[in-house]
Amino acid sequence: MLTPVPQAITLLGDTLLAVWRGIRRGWQFRPQDFARILADASARALLIVLVVNVLVGAIIAFVGAVQLLKFGAGIFVADLVAIAISREMAAVITAVVMCGRTGAAFAAELATMQANEEVDALTVLGLNAVDYLVLPRVLTLLLMMPLLYLFGCVGGLLGGFAVSSSLLELAPIAYFDRSVAALTYTHLGLGFFKSMAFGLLVSLAACFHGLHAPRNAAGVGGATTHAVVTGIVGVIALDAVFAVCADALGL
Amino acid sequence: MPCLPYALTRWDCEMSLLSVRDLRLQYGPTLIQEHIDFDIEAGTIYAVMGGSGCGKSTLLKCLIGLLQPAAGQVLYGEQDYWASNEATRNQLRADIGVLFQSAALWSSMTVLENVMLPLQVQDTLPQDQHEARALEALEWVGMAEAQDRLPADLSGGMKKRVGLARAIVARPHLLFLDEPSAGLDPISSVKLDRLILDIRERTEAAIVIVTHELPSIYALADDGIFLDADLKRPIAHGKPTQMRDTVMHPTVQAFMRRQEIDTL
Repeated sequence: MLTPVPQAITLLGDTLLAVWRGIRRGWQFRPQDFARILADASARALLIVLVVNVLVGAIIAFVGAVQLLKFGAGIFVADLVAIAISREMAAVITAVVMCGRTGAAFAAELATMQANEEVDALTVLGLNAVDYLVLPRVLTLLLMMPLLYLFGCVGGLLGGFAVSSSLLELAPIAYFDRSVAALTYTHLGLGFFKSMAFGLLVSLAACFHGLHAPRNAAGVGGATTHAVVTGIVGVIALDAVFAVCADALGL
Repeated sequence: MPCLPYALTRWDCEMSLLSVRDLRLQYGPTLIQEHIDFDIEAGTIYAVMGGSGCGKSTLLKCLIGLLQPAAGQVLYGEQDYWASNEATRNQLRADIGVLFQSAALWSSMTVLENVMLPLQVQDTLPQDQHEARALEALEWVGMAEAQDRLPADLSGGMKKRVGLARAIVARPHLLFLDEPSAGLDPISSVKLDRLILDIRERTEAAIVIVTHELPSIYALADDGIFLDADLKRPIAHGKPTQMRDTVMHPTVQAFMRRQEIDTL
């Protein structure tokens, strides 16, 4: 079961070296490919990220309100939503969505390229698969995941606001004031940093399973499944590590 | 045969373009083939033959640098590929072209971009000549009109021809063709065989062709090697017609005459 771990660590190391080579000698991948991957993982992912985060924000607001209203503390729903969304949920939920959407696409595309000998063709030309295929995907999620996280934050806050103002009859201005007060740079910074880490994890898991897929149709399906499972479990496990570390650091 | 400028080493006309010495191929502990020896001269077409699963494509992978042999040498000129450092390997790879079994066109690129990429990677020509050279290669294979199409829009035969254009665009001295006729109808297969002969005429490259298509073998190959899946070693060398007429091994006879072993 742990056999792929050394290979995954090797891929991480190769990716870091590819970044170093790219900075020193220029990126090897084609700008057109990078632009295509960027567009697919950003603009085309906005709607799904927005919808899911709005719903999560609404659910948190609703569940929180049921409890807090018992104590006459309904206004603190705004704090609950703002902190939960900015610190945890927007980063995690966005990462899970991107894992199922973009991570799966990365893995399927690379596994298909592997099956069609396209990766071999690159190698024979002297192009490194990590420089040419992995790096643009890793950079894409590393750059886009924090932006999608911020977008997810807005969506989650809107979802919470919609529930609070309609069902709980909280004054919009009061809700807004509480939300702004609760949103600290610490929460936002932590969520922002986590989303970058999740982007790295999701993209590496997808590329790893794509490049190591068996060269057949079942291999493509298997790579996609493994990439999504590894990505989602990894994101949640990493989030737990972040929670412990943040607590230890007093954040 | 004229002496070709060899980009890499001190290769001269007296030296074989590619030599394989006592090669042993394994996947992990599983032996695929061993005791493989042959030499390929400039301008010849060399066939690697054998039944399905005997290790032909594995041998090809070793020759083009995708699979390290368990033992033995792959010499390009006098340079041992697998004993070389990465920089030398990159130089050696610049002088080979490969047509993969599935053509292996990069699906996100147009036909023209696919054919131009080797030139862009090698960067030995001025950039403004890349497109003209790629179009010339596409014209050779009759695919110039498809330059703006994506690989997904091409038939199997068209993909093979574009793959061939990509393999020859940098004018390599060694061409490796993995099952070029696989999956093609007989008419397209004959056309592709003619195209391969035409490319040999134009480029004077040595061509290594991995195949089990008998008509292609007889039509193309000047020399060859026959790999046996059971013995896991070569059992015959030479021109295919000579092999058919002189090698009495039942597997070779059955293969070269397209018969069942029991009927011989």
